[in-house]
Amino acid sequence: MGADVSVVAASESSCKIFGDGCGFEAPTVSLFFPTPWLDFGLPGTSGLNKYYLVAVVALLVAAAFWYFTTRKAKVVPGRGQSVAELLVTFLRDQVTRTAIGKEGDKYLPLMVTLFIFIFSMNIMGLIPGLQLPVTSNLAFPAVLALLIFLLWNIVGIRRHGAGGHFKARLVPGGVPTWILPLVIPIEALSNFIIRPATHMIRLFATMFAGHLLLALFAAAGFYMFNPLSEMGAGYGALSVGYSAMALLGFLVFTAFELFIMAVQAYVFVLLSSIYLGEALEGAH
Amino acid sequence: MNEHRSAKDAASDTEPSSANGITLVSYLLGGLAFWGGVGWVADHFLGFSALFLPIGLGVGLVGAIYLIYAQHVRS
Repeated sequence: MGADVSVVAASESSCKIFGDGCGFEAPTVSLFFPTPWLDFGLPGTSGLNKYYLVAVVALLVAAAFWYFTTRKAKVVPGRGQSVAELLVTFLRDQVTRTAIGKEGDKYLPLMVTLFIFIFSMNIMGLIPGLQLPVTSNLAFPAVLALLIFLLWNIVGIRRHGAGGHFKARLVPGGVPTWILPLVIPIEALSNFIIRPATHMIRLFATMFAGHLLLALFAAAGFYMFNPLSEMGAGYGALSVGYSAMALLGFLVFTAFELFIMAVQAYVFVLLSSIYLGEALEGAH
Repeated sequence: MNEHRSAKDAASDTEPSSANGITLVSYLLGGLAFWGGVGWVADHFLGFSALFLPIGLGVGLVGAIYLIYAQHVRS
């Protein structure tokens, strides 16, 4: 089954409020497991499915953004170039310089790229016809979080040496020696497992839940729209009122979701910058 | 406080507070998961139903709170 909201709604079309008594079936997590177009039968893989297509579209959107905003770059920027420059300076001032300092300018291109890519993957959840945020599949945030985790180690090792980096991450400063056996495992688990895991889950879970919520509102709107109810015109009119409320909720949450999509992309790059800043800083 | 501070000063003010929130949760989860896990394994091999698991959870919680205190409150 496709993850398209209209497909979900269409599949529920036989059941209506004030109808023949069959109840409302809420959209399920099957939304996030689209039927693969090409399945290679490899264990642990999903085959080529809608996520791949939407990810490629997201990539093209991100590339197109830069192409159209910077192809005629001038000292006095035009409208498109201003948007791109505003984004870059915003991320520089609010993310890399805040978390890393002046040295963070070196990581600004990475952070801007990550932000645009994640935002365009998120926003695919609102594009009619696609309606599937790529980041609602755990694999995509996982790869990005893994990239930052690797970079965090590489940056730390290059700056402080392998010993210095791992010591700074495992042995907390200013702690008596006898308590180290208690706290070193906590530091290890916290820094090397839980932090990268929460980094990816934060993005994945927000997009997953947001998409499910939108699908629920849309499906409820279709379910409750039954103007030709066999129970009478009064019920028919009531159903239209109910449906209007559900669709109003859908619109409000769509706007809210757009905001969340931008915020989550921002949070992801902010955390990435904080981690890199910490690796550069060394012992705390 | 002087309002004309450099960007670096502002950065050093905001960085720990934003990092703290993330670190606190991972310390608490890490403490509970590791020492709780050790307790669970001890229970499993020593044949107790639930003796070392709560002890491990307690130790992990204390360790995590101590780390938070030592890293972010005291300093």
